[in-house]
Amino acid sequence: MVNIIENPATLTGRDLRISPLGRVEGDLDLRVTIRDGVVTSAWTEASMFRGFEIILKGKDPQAGLIVTPRICGICGGSHLTKAAYALDTAWQTELPPNATLIRNIAQACETLQSIPRWFYALFAIDLTNKKYAHLPEYDEAVRRFAPFVGTSYEHGVTLSNKPVEIYAIFGGQWPHSSFMIPGGVMCAPTLADVTRAIAILEYWKDEWLEKKWLGCSVDRWLQNKSWADVMEWMHENERHYNSDCGFFLRFALAAGLDKYGAGWNNYIATGTYFHPERYARPTIEGRNAALIARSGVYVNGQFYDFDQANVREDVTHSFYEGSHALHPFEGRTEPIDPAVGHRQGKYSWAKAPRYLIPGVGSHPVEAGPLARQVIAGRPGAADWQDYDPLFLDAVTTVGPSVLVRVMARMHEAPKYYKLVRKWLDQINLHEKFYIKPKELPEGRGFGSTEAARGSLSDWIVLKDGKIENYQVVTPTAWNIGPRDGREVNGPMEQAFIGTPITDPSDPVELGHVARSYDSCLVCTVHAYDEKTGKALAQFRIGEGA
Amino acid sequence: MATLLWLQGGACSGNTMSFLNAEEPSACDLVTDFGIEILWHPSLGMELGENAKRIFYDCASGVRPLDIFVFEGTVIQAPNGTGRYNMFADRPMQEWVRELAAQAGIVVAIGDCACWGGIPAMAPNPSQSTGLQFHKRELGGFLGPNWRSKAGLPVINIPGCPAHPDWVTQILVAVASGRAADIALDELQRPQTFFTSFTQTGCTRVQFFEYKQSTLEFGQGTRTGCLFYEFGCRGPMTRSPCNRILWNRQSSKTRAGMPCTGCTEPEFPFFDLAPGTVFKTQKISGAIPKEVPTGTDPISYMALAAAARVAAPKWAKEDMFVV
Repeated sequence: MVNIIENPATLTGRDLRISPLGRVEGDLDLRVTIRDGVVTSAWTEASMFRGFEIILKGKDPQAGLIVTPRICGICGGSHLTKAAYALDTAWQTELPPNATLIRNIAQACETLQSIPRWFYALFAIDLTNKKYAHLPEYDEAVRRFAPFVGTSYEHGVTLSNKPVEIYAIFGGQWPHSSFMIPGGVMCAPTLADVTRAIAILEYWKDEWLEKKWLGCSVDRWLQNKSWADVMEWMHENERHYNSDCGFFLRFALAAGLDKYGAGWNNYIATGTYFHPERYARPTIEGRNAALIARSGVYVNGQFYDFDQANVREDVTHSFYEGSHALHPFEGRTEPIDPAVGHRQGKYSWAKAPRYLIPGVGSHPVEAGPLARQVIAGRPGAADWQDYDPLFLDAVTTVGPSVLVRVMARMHEAPKYYKLVRKWLDQINLHEKFYIKPKELPEGRGFGSTEAARGSLSDWIVLKDGKIENYQVVTPTAWNIGPRDGREVNGPMEQAFIGTPITDPSDPVELGHVARSYDSCLVCTVHAYDEKTGKALAQFRIGEGA
Repeated sequence: MATLLWLQGGACSGNTMSFLNAEEPSACDLVTDFGIEILWHPSLGMELGENAKRIFYDCASGVRPLDIFVFEGTVIQAPNGTGRYNMFADRPMQEWVRELAAQAGIVVAIGDCACWGGIPAMAPNPSQSTGLQFHKRELGGFLGPNWRSKAGLPVINIPGCPAHPDWVTQILVAVASGRAADIALDELQRPQTFFTSFTQTGCTRVQFFEYKQSTLEFGQGTRTGCLFYEFGCRGPMTRSPCNRILWNRQSSKTRAGMPCTGCTEPEFPFFDLAPGTVFKTQKISGAIPKEVPTGTDPISYMALAAAARVAAPKWAKEDMFVV
């Protein structure tokens, strides 16, 4: 194998680029080498830097509530959620059950919005690529998924607005509200707010989720507990077979999307949604036990408890000073000119997050819906926690792939619909939504949630009533981060390896892999022939939200 | 038929996400009903790779007519003016911006970042970010104070963090339906039709404001009172139609109990989020708001407030938005 990787700049002879330390949004350069029609190496290069962690230093302790949602307008509500929990733990607040319910509802609604918007606007349009013109399903794919005019595209994109209408009822607007604050939420909904939210949720469930996507009831879909069940479901009747879900499964299998994009098969979920009574006094230590969608780490087929103390960010190949791997409480963000960084073998603005398992070692781990759903398969859930074996079965029987990753995401739509409906029914309109906290001048906080595209966490250090250090680790960083100090690939870099490329001048397969992760970056792919070093193609594969 | 190219610099995609929330017209309607040809958009375009790049070069060189250039996000100039902190299609984004702006019929800055520099341009501004034609309230920005588009217009600023989708789509529809001449701009180059009234205009708490009744606590307490007196609400000093044209067709920040942060004004985020300024009204002697509603002076406002408090009816102290 030709190793040309030590300094990417020598190959391309130009600056490479990627995302900010916000690590979401911005541009992603992806460089791959191809040998005999198969990807053998990959480098993900984030090319934009804004410096939010630097901006937050010295600011008001609550500045993160306003600033971090603007790291990524796609996951803004998720940024707000974890920023609020970071302060809750630092200020040792008390949360009334209503506040936890509203936060859960808002957080889940952002994800419910993202699922169809991502699928139709960002993923499925590539299924209309001419590569698939020979498939019997092709004309139907164009009819459904063509941008702007596809029958399912317009429906899916427009109805994706509905879940965030619920967000707006409680939070005022989506994106970019800051209505979650330490001690609770700012709103105090009335009966009409709750009934309207329920009506919108039901409309979305009827019109998109059941009618368009599933072709069956939510409850019927949720009876699927294994990948074999999903295959059986698809053939069960014409409604399933011809739904967007059934059609996508058929198309993906015909197109071979179940054959590549596996990655490391190691996963992380920091978990999300809290039991309203069990996280009334948020602490870092008490977090795992209070979660509804559980946290956990899955490495080499073993489950481990998630502990924020084991997170490291490695900057060996990132455009920051040094080559350290630090815990975020000690994290540093000292940018250097990419032109200088390239000479040191650095190639991305993303840091490389790694999870350290004591006694086992440091690992790149994939974040996102597939990670969440694998962790959901871990035995031993408490009765308020989600236990769902479907995708642990999928990765252990058929293995991870583009198809399985996409399906894990779509599977969350019925699951979270059920949760949101339950939480809406639990709001007690006559009780508190906020308990005023004491604003402690010193402290450390950790807040985390699951954005649609994966684990999203803040570490905050307060000193003298202001922010001493603020570090954000995004799902995009977990996934698109570069190699670490031991030259181990990031998760998405690994997932590209083994991808077969039919037409090097239009390697749509790379687009499928990149988009299956939904990294928040506009990706540019530079493909090279490994034998000759010649450029094969350079093309944009669009944005994962 | 109007051609449109949309690029993102130091952006968060929030304006794009907001734009996708549009209905009447939706993003799809803009294409199918109003003949706006979206040449390329970071989230929506089909063109890939070399094809996409060809569009940028053809527009930048004038080979392909570009009617509307939409920019979201800041212009990143770091390090040292090189723009290397934001590379795009093999060049610093700032070079694309300069060339595309020069060829466009009109240039629309969407969101605070593109208008004024926004949050990335907050101190210490590590990315040397600025807006297209303003840096905060100062005219100039990246393109300079005297820059004009081919149609003879300065940059049209549609601020907000993010901009409301209707503010964007309705300006695009105005251009596409031949009403561009009706787009009157204020001194900050914002369309007057949206940015003359205040955030407070249409706020459901305005009667509490009139009688100077304050919200005392977030959460339950926000069913009564106005957020201006204690929680730093900038509704009376901010030009935006957030309470006339509701967000997500449902609500607004102030209706949901969140103080307006003034995000359509160039100073957002106000006071650079210094300690003690977030969600707290800045006061003189711990009692009198430092800033009073636009157009009033502190002394007459205090007199008015004192009288209003005396005149306040009983209901103004009660929960109006009851369960």
